[in-house]
Amino acid sequence: MRSQGLLMIAEWEHPKVCFTVDGEAVTVRGALDRRLVDILREDCGHTGVKRGCDIGRCGACMVLVDGAATNACLLMAFQADGTAITTPAGLDAMPAAQIVREALVEEVAFQCGYCAPGFVMSLTALFLRDEAPAREAILTALEGNICRCTGYHSILRGAERAARKFAALRNGAAEGQTP
Amino acid sequence: MRVVTPATIADAAGLLAEPGSRAIAGGTLIQLGWARGEAKPERLVDLSRLGLSTIDVEGSALRIGATTQLAAIERDMRVLDGWPLLAEAIRAVAAAPVRNLATIGGNIAGGVGCLWPALVALGASIEVLASDDVSTRPILDWFNLSPGALLLSIQIRPMPAEARFVTRKTGLRAAFTPSIIGVAAVAPVESGVFGAPIIAAGGGITRPQRLIASEAFLAGKSVDGMDWTAFRAIAAADIATQSDAFRSARYRRSVAANALAAGLGSEAAPPARHPASMRRPVPPGGTHGSITVSHEALAGSWAVRPDISAKVSGKLTYLTDRRSSDMLVGRILRAGIPHALIRSIDTSAAEALAGVVAVVTAADIQGLNAFGIVEPDQPALCFDKVRHAGDPVAAVAAIDAETAARALALIRVDYQPLPLVDSFDAAMAAGAPAIHAGGNLRLELNHRRGDVDAAFARAAHVVEDVYVTPRQMHGFMETEGGAVIPEADGTLTVAVGGQHGSRDRFQLSRILGLPEDRIRVITSPTGGAFGGKDELTVQPAMALLALKTGRPIRLQLDRAESIIAGIRRNPMTIRMKTACDENGMLIAQQVDVTSECGAYASLSPAVLETALEHVAGPYRIDNIVSRGRLAYTNNGVCGAFRGFGANQMVFAIESQMNRLAILAGLDPVEIRRRNLRAPGDPGFFGHPVAPTERLSEMLDQAALNPLWQAPRGRDDKGRLIGTGMALHHQGTGLGSLPPDPGGGRLAFRADGRIEAAFGLDEMGQGVMPAIEAAVSAALGCARSDVLPVVGDTALTPESGSTTAARGTYVIWRTAQEAGKPFAAALCALAAKKLGRPAEQLALAPGGIRDAGSNSGALLMSFAELARGLTEDERPRETLAFHFPTADYKDGNARYVFCFGAAVVRVAVDPVTGMVSVLDLDQHVAAGPIVDPAAYLGQIEGGGGQGLGFTLTEDALMQGGAYVTANLDTYMLPSIRDAPEHMRVTALEDLDDGDPHGPRGVGEIGIGAVTPAIAAAIADAIGHYAAVTPIRPEDILDALAGLADDR
Repeated sequence: MRSQGLLMIAEWEHPKVCFTVDGEAVTVRGALDRRLVDILREDCGHTGVKRGCDIGRCGACMVLVDGAATNACLLMAFQADGTAITTPAGLDAMPAAQIVREALVEEVAFQCGYCAPGFVMSLTALFLRDEAPAREAILTALEGNICRCTGYHSILRGAERAARKFAALRNGAAEGQTP
Repeated sequence: MRVVTPATIADAAGLLAEPGSRAIAGGTLIQLGWARGEAKPERLVDLSRLGLSTIDVEGSALRIGATTQLAAIERDMRVLDGWPLLAEAIRAVAAAPVRNLATIGGNIAGGVGCLWPALVALGASIEVLASDDVSTRPILDWFNLSPGALLLSIQIRPMPAEARFVTRKTGLRAAFTPSIIGVAAVAPVESGVFGAPIIAAGGGITRPQRLIASEAFLAGKSVDGMDWTAFRAIAAADIATQSDAFRSARYRRSVAANALAAGLGSEAAPPARHPASMRRPVPPGGTHGSITVSHEALAGSWAVRPDISAKVSGKLTYLTDRRSSDMLVGRILRAGIPHALIRSIDTSAAEALAGVVAVVTAADIQGLNAFGIVEPDQPALCFDKVRHAGDPVAAVAAIDAETAARALALIRVDYQPLPLVDSFDAAMAAGAPAIHAGGNLRLELNHRRGDVDAAFARAAHVVEDVYVTPRQMHGFMETEGGAVIPEADGTLTVAVGGQHGSRDRFQLSRILGLPEDRIRVITSPTGGAFGGKDELTVQPAMALLALKTGRPIRLQLDRAESIIAGIRRNPMTIRMKTACDENGMLIAQQVDVTSECGAYASLSPAVLETALEHVAGPYRIDNIVSRGRLAYTNNGVCGAFRGFGANQMVFAIESQMNRLAILAGLDPVEIRRRNLRAPGDPGFFGHPVAPTERLSEMLDQAALNPLWQAPRGRDDKGRLIGTGMALHHQGTGLGSLPPDPGGGRLAFRADGRIEAAFGLDEMGQGVMPAIEAAVSAALGCARSDVLPVVGDTALTPESGSTTAARGTYVIWRTAQEAGKPFAAALCALAAKKLGRPAEQLALAPGGIRDAGSNSGALLMSFAELARGLTEDERPRETLAFHFPTADYKDGNARYVFCFGAAVVRVAVDPVTGMVSVLDLDQHVAAGPIVDPAAYLGQIEGGGGQGLGFTLTEDALMQGGAYVTANLDTYMLPSIRDAPEHMRVTALEDLDDGDPHGPRGVGEIGIGAVTPAIAAAIADAIGHYAAVTPIRPEDILDALAGLADDR
């Protein structure tokens, strides 16, 4: 049993992992415990993904993994195998992210801005699930993002402004359907 | 380390039975362990493809596969309906994005997970594969299984139909915190009588356990007749736990018992002392014209800063994002030992490693191997001794980060350890080892006026206490780093986050032996600084590597290294004794401050000076004696941090005022009003100060604040509510002793934009929008006509440091004084082109208008005006001046001040002793608002940092090493720690003839927060906290009547 197990390791071992980043296929070979944040920043040039703490405690490197907000510093390459990763650059093509960004800009939600791409990522993931989040849901979605400059209220004002924009869009759409 | 992903459970079990294997599911906990230095296993067995990520309800029982993500469980409707206790417990684990990765099995497997108490209380079983057998057993059996056991699923029976249940995790802050202790209980109730409950504790260092005596005590007792006080005592005694650097075992037991009693007995709560009655201020008649600072209230002048879109979209290139194809990665070798002589450094093995391009040590330094803003006492690379664990000893440049890391491990440094000096007292002890040749006492300051002893002898009321403030970390999100590039022309470009490019250039020039004109320093944009990038950080090592290799070097400290190497706020111990007479008039003040600067001085001497400049607060006290001492230790390095010594002292003096008010029977506004400096009074040292004092107006604003009308007592969550206030003032600029140059340049560009160049740094605080706003207002053009250029010694003139809330004034004055001739020159040019007299022309948004017309119609756009002009013809105005300062040289005295008051409402949780800030209102008088969003951001952001200082933040050190080694234990406030409501008001007016314009608001937002929170807590519970961050254990003791009366 044991020797059989060892023989089979070769088959289980990943020769490489493949995933997509903003729709483009990426193949990682070599050390499969490399963290996604390093792969994205150093191999793929996605410097919009920021390094902050390297242990999943600040949210600066937040990306979407199959649509769910995930700390890129916590994800090792083999864990990303077969997933679709979205970086801040990938949000450019997502209408929901544009609404979130606009609202945050209008409220001047950030100062140094280093945490901003991560907050945008968490909020986009939230609004993709829930277009009318209550304050409590916004707080939960942002618990994993640290901002040191603002005291958070400008970000909350931005998030709530985004919620109003989503509501206006829904209402506009609903009105449009009204005969 | 190899990663294997077995496809069957049998294969996984076989692999796990091999030595050197470790199972991984989400991997979040494992990575924390690695970050703390745990060894990586030979083989990682990935359990993600075993089909164990399932949630099923079988019969009435819940079955959750071991690799199911926590996020999937917390959103499952069946779980939410049938096992709400589990869903609630999961929501307290880590943070939402981490729960997208973390699995229930991983939470259980490590034994320290936050879900343990809830799962035990729910009577969960685990299905495990161990020794080739699959078995289902009680969850606590997990600890009896062999290390190779494979957790397959968790099975949970239905919750009782009628029951009381509770789950509660207590941590170090409101959310995303390590567990200090967790408890959970499920207590069936039948006909008003408790059945057989399961009560559990665990999480973090508390081993998961059932509380058998507590269960026995509860079982069979009537719910209504329950003696919850007795239950609490039983439960507290029932829990086996430990102390650590953060909380005592005693605290853990108290909180656990309180949480169980509060959760199971809906009416139960621990006793609360009746607080001494603090009088409410009497609202004054007028408001003096303070305005609310918000987007809504200032919609007309609200503007979006020019860099915000790029920041929000992730497209802004920070200095740490700079990349080029031939760039090498730098790494710095830190001492790792807090105090030692260096016997030898051997870099040969590192240099021989393939991929290493250069290794530098002190031997590579051509100039002075020392730096420091106040005095150069800090080696760029250590050569004879190391004085703290983060001291740099060598640096490597390699082709990639992995090679650089391997090279560091190959550098051999032979140390002869020296005894550790780990506190002020240890530094001053007889026979203490000298950290520097001059001894350990870096600075002593003494000040005396009047007859203090006589005044104390006739005092009606005296308050004396020892205020302790934390070693706060700046916590800028972008750690220290950037790129250093040797240019083709032989110059060196140093693009590293900083706060004063020309001073960085001066210090680098001295180290490198390179003339200043051969060095270009770029310091913007910087991802946060708050004082922590004022001193040189990684620039010397990077520059040495770049010069040695001739190639660009990039380097960004990881957070752990940033914590070891970076600067902290000087922790202070402030003994303060303050006396007033029977009318509440202050008559005597005695202050003794001890502080440490860590291994090197940096700006610590100036911080201590600033603290001692504030010993009287904004009050008249005739009899004062103060002493301050600053010692070298081996505890990292301390220095500049927003507040700069003032906020530590404001905490002490304002707390004294609030406490004297109670003794004197006065409200907190009235006692301050009686003692307030009057406009025109000299400054603390008897020196002249600038006009526009607004202290009385700030007191009026505080008195008018509606928070005083909010009810005290308990809220609907059982928390105790209180309101408190503090008043403060803080100087801007560096003071009367150091050079404090200001200046800037306006230049008309070929494209018609008006370039406004300042050697100030955009660190987030809003230099760019301030430039746009001030220059456009002075010239009459639009904000979009102005192009701010900052933080680059090649492109920007000397403006002084971006510290001490001085940037706003520098920008405003430049705009005013350079703006007039600049605008006149533009009008003169336009006059020529338009063939009209220049005096008939004026600048307008977008171009030149008829000065006599109100239509705003443009006669000529700026672009048209610029067309065809040579560089010499395009106007350019450069201004240089000294920041306004007092003519006083016997001490470092501030001249221009900001004024503020904070009113705070808090909720004190009698279960945990933790404090939530419900309202943080800040009233500010700092002259006209330049940019509303930046103004609001500075006050709110300063408030957030003040809140952290007060409640959660302290960089703990043991044995010369940081216990709080990363952001998992160093508790920056999370979004759930933010006040529920923040309001900012501004009083903008200036005295007639006041020439100093808008004051910078970078520092006025932090100082009053701590004493106002302390006062609000005292209002709620009758206890004044003097140790910050305020210890929940002290609060619980106070509530239990165990603390000394304060």
